[in-house]
Amino acid sequence: MTQRPLELILARNLMSALSTPAFLVDEGGVLVFYNEAAGALLGKRYEELGTVGPEEWGSLFGPFDDGGEPIPYDELPLVVAVRNGRPAHADFEIRSADGARHTVEVSAFPILTAHGSQGAIAVFWPSAAKNGSGH
Amino acid sequence: MDVKLWGTRGSIPSPGPETIRYGGNTSCVGVTLSDGSLLALDAGTGIRNLGLALAAEPARLHILLTHLHLDHIQGLVFFAPAFRAQTEIVIWGPASPEASLRDRIGRYISAPLSPVEVRELPCDVSFRHCPETEWEIGPARIRAASVTHRGPTLGYRIDDGDHSSLAYIPDHEPALGADLATLDEDWISGFELARGASMLIHDGQYSDAEYPEHVGWGHSSLTHALTFARRAEADRTVLFHHDPLHSDDLLDLHAAESRRCWTNLGGVEGAVELAVEGAEYELPSRVPGASHAAATA
Repeated sequence: MTQRPLELILARNLMSALSTPAFLVDEGGVLVFYNEAAGALLGKRYEELGTVGPEEWGSLFGPFDDGGEPIPYDELPLVVAVRNGRPAHADFEIRSADGARHTVEVSAFPILTAHGSQGAIAVFWPSAAKNGSGH
Repeated sequence: MDVKLWGTRGSIPSPGPETIRYGGNTSCVGVTLSDGSLLALDAGTGIRNLGLALAAEPARLHILLTHLHLDHIQGLVFFAPAFRAQTEIVIWGPASPEASLRDRIGRYISAPLSPVEVRELPCDVSFRHCPETEWEIGPARIRAASVTHRGPTLGYRIDDGDHSSLAYIPDHEPALGADLATLDEDWISGFELARGASMLIHDGQYSDAEYPEHVGWGHSSLTHALTFARRAEADRTVLFHHDPLHSDDLLDLHAAESRRCWTNLGGVEGAVELAVEGAEYELPSRVPGASHAAATA
């Protein structure tokens, strides 16, 4: 088993302590962790799901645009962050395990180290625009 | 591989009658590889005595720094071989986006903190950032990896050609925000360095009662250090980087507590001890796949 980079370990440790839903992918875009708050949003704990490849995790939970169409994988903030090394933000709907849909805002940012990109973090909020309330 | 502990204390030198048995010098471990090559792990004040013990003859040695906190570099300007023109010293350490290893160490070896500058050292000294991949020194393969501490900090793994191995992680808080008992191994800071080592020298600065007041300071409680060691299955664990406020009598209590904790974790009796300045170990050669054998002190 390969040791995770320290930056990913620390990111996971921080995310574990947050009440904000957060997702972590490695440098290959593999979903390697999400926290309890994200598990509550998705209706499934990370421990039940385990690591998920980059082409799979998008289809598991959506996401969908305003018209209900799946958003292309390449346009997801986490994918933009990990591939381009740039922060990204978007509003969209996700589908939880019980079929319910949630409108969320997502901000993703890359984890850059002296050895290059090690992955990315995405943080989810209930959408202010859709819900008509700020944070 | 032979190992000698020249400095076992953390944070600041703590000489005096209360610390005479476990020692007051800060972090330094001397390692003699199977071909006679010499490594110094960290350059706390303990490296001064290491330098005095070396014969005054031409020598090449490597100093592997885990990080640049003062208790790990303070002995550099009192290291006698650095003042011999015939000595070649290679200093390895963590890279930083802020400045080179030489420049960062130069902040200490320069006025007004030091009477000499790096360029004035008579020895042939060079500075190298540790690579991501393992490299060789003599017959040994050396691996460095970033570990949980404050600032850029490395742990080291030394696999000698005789199949003995040493993991050195003196400043480490792997339990920060993590449950070491249940977390997958690949998510535990420093785990691959320590896995199955003949000897693990690991941070054990705080008692379990002290740790809650020091969360995030970059050091381990006894239980965290021993849980890490138990999961890594090192043959022998030496708890290191003693708190400067811990007297010999208090460390005796910690030693007893660590033995109890180790037994509760299911560890082999006698495989855990507290670091004592001056202690020497001969790490046994081990044929890969053979059962573990304890080091001899």
